[in-house]
Amino acid sequence: MPRYKIADVVFDAVPMYKYTVKLCENYAYSGDAQPEFTAAITQADIDAEKAQEGGENFPDYYLESLALFRKLCDYVLTKRQGIIFHSSAVAVDGKAYLFTAPSGTGKSTHARLWKEMLGDRLVYINDDKPIIRWVDGDFYVYGTPWNGKHRLDTNARAKIAAICELKRGVKNSISKISPQEMLLVVMNQTIRPSETDKVDNLFFILDKLLTTVPLYRLECNVSEEAAKISYAAMTGNKI
Amino acid sequence: MKIREGFIIREVAGSFVVVAVGSAAKEFGGIINLNETGAFLWKALEKGATAEELVSKLLEEYEVDEATARADVDAFVKKLQENQLVK
Repeated sequence: MPRYKIADVVFDAVPMYKYTVKLCENYAYSGDAQPEFTAAITQADIDAEKAQEGGENFPDYYLESLALFRKLCDYVLTKRQGIIFHSSAVAVDGKAYLFTAPSGTGKSTHARLWKEMLGDRLVYINDDKPIIRWVDGDFYVYGTPWNGKHRLDTNARAKIAAICELKRGVKNSISKISPQEMLLVVMNQTIRPSETDKVDNLFFILDKLLTTVPLYRLECNVSEEAAKISYAAMTGNKI
Repeated sequence: MKIREGFIIREVAGSFVVVAVGSAAKEFGGIINLNETGAFLWKALEKGATAEELVSKLLEEYEVDEATARADVDAFVKKLQENQLVK
């Protein structure tokens, strides 16, 4: 039974497929801490993933890995004040910056522009499905094995310095936005539970997140200039 | 008139949000953003109220003339009906 540590949660998994084990191998855990829960994936879990939009296109072994992620996220939401946040999360000088938008808008592309600009000063925490958690009054973003099509993640965490909503535009411009404006964006980029108590957990976390972390909206074309503008605004530094 | 079962209203990061829970969540995946007046009316409708009662409550709670209150209630109720949120 493989044991993992993801988002600072130690847990055991009972997967059916080697794919899942291979996917999570960088997060294997052999320390002394006791597992907090056991994630046993059943065919019913896989079938539930298949029933999700687009799920029928994927093989069972891939759906199993999604089912595992869902169980972890459910635990983190219920017990560890965290959520999955579909975004591209990078860390520069130890501080994390998250780019969020619906799929296909250009989060990964923008993060890559930052990487080209900053080289080794930038580390990818996770390019697709990081977990964020509220820990001791701060928000951290954590690497996870579910790292997007470019396979970019690091088994690490960083304190979140800013979140930026990306929108495609003709000209590049960035502005601060209100918690209310960001709320709907974030709610569309996380798992929405259907149980009232879990919704309350989600709202508790979002309330804290959106009232403590600086929030931006960047309208951008795909250009170096867009990256320079977002970097300057979000870090306060000139490149 | 009453809000249909399975919808909850919460205040999050300075705004009022309504989402569906339980079996209602299977049909309704949206998120509704309400302003302060909308939230006030929504909460009244959770207990059940007629349009007249909603107008009275608005007049009691807010500094607004009756014509405006009536128009606001009508517009709000219409939106709820269009989205099948009341019965």
